Amino acid sequence: MQHFEIEVGGRTRRVAVARTGDKFAVTLDDRTVHADVARIDAHTLSLVVDTECPTGATDPVRAAFEVTIAPDAATGQLIVGVGPTPVAVAVNGRRARRRDEASGGNGPQRLSAPMPGKIVRVLVKSGDPVRARQPLVVVEAMKMENELRAGRDGLVAELHAREGESVDAGALLVVVQ
Amino acid sequence: MKKILIANRGEIAVRIIRACREMDLSSVAVYSECDRSALHVRLADEAYAIGPSAPRESYLRIDRLVDAARRSGADAVHPGYGFLAENEDFAAACVGAGLTFIGPTARAIETMGSKTAARGAAKRAGVPVVPGTEDPLGADATSEEIAATAQSIGYPLLVKAVAGGGGKGMRTVVDPSDLASAVGAARSEAATAFGDPAVYLERELPRPRHIEVQLLADHHGAVVPFVERECSIQRRHQKVVEETPSIAVTPALRAEITSAAAAVAKGVGYTNAGTIEFLVDENGRFYFLEMNTRLQVEHPITEMVTGLDLVQWQIRIARGERLDVDPARALTPTGHAIECRVYAEDPDNNFLPSPGRIVALRPAAGPGIRDDSGATAGLDVPIFYDPMISKLAAWAEDRPRAIARMRRALAEYLVAGIRTTVPFFTWLLSQPDFSAGRFDTTYLDGVLKAQNGRPFVEPAAGVEEMAAIAAALHTALSPARPPANGGSTGGRWKTEARLEGLR
Repeated sequence: MQHFEIEVGGRTRRVAVARTGDKFAVTLDDRTVHADVARIDAHTLSLVVDTECPTGATDPVRAAFEVTIAPDAATGQLIVGVGPTPVAVAVNGRRARRRDEASGGNGPQRLSAPMPGKIVRVLVKSGDPVRARQPLVVVEAMKMENELRAGRDGLVAELHAREGESVDAGALLVVVQ
Repeated sequence: MKKILIANRGEIAVRIIRACREMDLSSVAVYSECDRSALHVRLADEAYAIGPSAPRESYLRIDRLVDAARRSGADAVHPGYGFLAENEDFAAACVGAGLTFIGPTARAIETMGSKTAARGAAKRAGVPVVPGTEDPLGADATSEEIAATAQSIGYPLLVKAVAGGGGKGMRTVVDPSDLASAVGAARSEAATAFGDPAVYLERELPRPRHIEVQLLADHHGAVVPFVERECSIQRRHQKVVEETPSIAVTPALRAEITSAAAAVAKGVGYTNAGTIEFLVDENGRFYFLEMNTRLQVEHPITEMVTGLDLVQWQIRIARGERLDVDPARALTPTGHAIECRVYAEDPDNNFLPSPGRIVALRPAAGPGIRDDSGATAGLDVPIFYDPMISKLAAWAEDRPRAIARMRRALAEYLVAGIRTTVPFFTWLLSQPDFSAGRFDTTYLDGVLKAQNGRPFVEPAAGVEEMAAIAAALHTALSPARPPANGGSTGGRWKTEARLEGLR
């Protein structure tokens, strides 16, 4: 039996995995499902999951899912693709935050360049008050101009972006406090 | 013509290589440093390195492309779209080097590449243009003169770059007091993007549709227009979804708009493939917008409803064949086709590019589906180029069935390692306004604003639980992390053995 703490959708779920042959019993919080798992490649799993009929009147439905699992370079979380839906997941307390809450809460927001590019416009000055989702900096990369926005209300505490400058991925551009 | 050099990369280079192979012609790929492993290099018969990854140092270097053609012994060049496809100097350089340029003449590219000259050509052919200035604004025109011109056109209006494209060098002016600054901004943006600061003024139509007409024209005087494409679903002036035929075009309008397109092409002695873009207002009146003197990104949907191969026809026309396509066939769609441009962008994060390594990829397939892609698992999406990874197209008997088929294909499309716009398309194709065809060029920017950053696909509770279960199983099954530099072959064998043991 292996135990995991899994953060998804802003909640922490306890998951236990027990293996019998090629069958897995997965307990999510207090509910157990039985899953048959086939590994397709390093990033793809096929799951056939027994779902008990609530009345017990019929045999369990054997629901089939294809999932992909890959690390998200930007956040260090896992992105689990369930069909076409990407879900951000953190396993065992790797600091998981929903993107819209990234650096939210009370701490300062450190806005970094998500990709290498060129700063084409800086839309705020040091000390400016900003609102959540207000565009702060425009970075040109991959033939497109991309607006980087504030994640929270606050003041521009630090401004490192300069118009015309080339930046690497991860370069700190603005701190909102 | 025996060997064709493809002066491009990505999915369009792959598309052209496929046409070459089907016609028993040799294909020559060119590649920049970061594209050594790209699919077009792997599929071509020959491949030549042309320089560093930055487009300016490789795919935009006319001298290196012509030199690669000479070294390979190619006798023709296909420019694809983007890069040098609408550069008259490139077309002229190819012809000067004794190569057949698979496209229009340098002169036609030059005429139709200037928006004001193209508007003049449309007017001479008797085709209405959006009201605007005949000539570029003079570089020394005073702000009073510009304001007087603007007043005669009427507000709201657009300031547009004469050499423009892709929404660059373009500003909307609603309030006359913003005119001077908009002209200044458009001029400087146009100078940076196109090396030409010239701008002109054009009235902004309220809620227009973007309807375009594909054409083929041979060297013997034949011009064949095709059934229209509807391209109103745009984000920041970039097409995102295209379909054909348009729900808004009646048979009468189709006859009129396609004849108008043919008249413009004939008037300038146009040859090879091209597309004339129109705006159609709420009353069904149409106005010439511009001409693209090349193959369009969205050409596959036209191929799907007509059964004609546009790239093969480009090659056949370039080698002097007669365009003996039945004009009625080109104008009569069989069924309906839709294309979604799948980008390596994160729709839930303001469509920011999501470059990186694709670790798993299984495109949609099956009945009525066509996936034109340059991406494979194991490839990095480079930061230097347009982040489109695939054009996913669906054909079916009618529009509702084509939408249903596209939704099926999107649900099947599996990609891991990067974010893509697939979830966004899943959302868009379930919107009642999209299903009803109630949209114009302002539609998408409007709904994106209303969405205000909320995710397009909110995972249902069941989906989040499945993701948690999958993450736990994946972690439980993953072999211990290998040493930092990849480990030995022996280690990989063990991993494989462990994976085998699972089944």
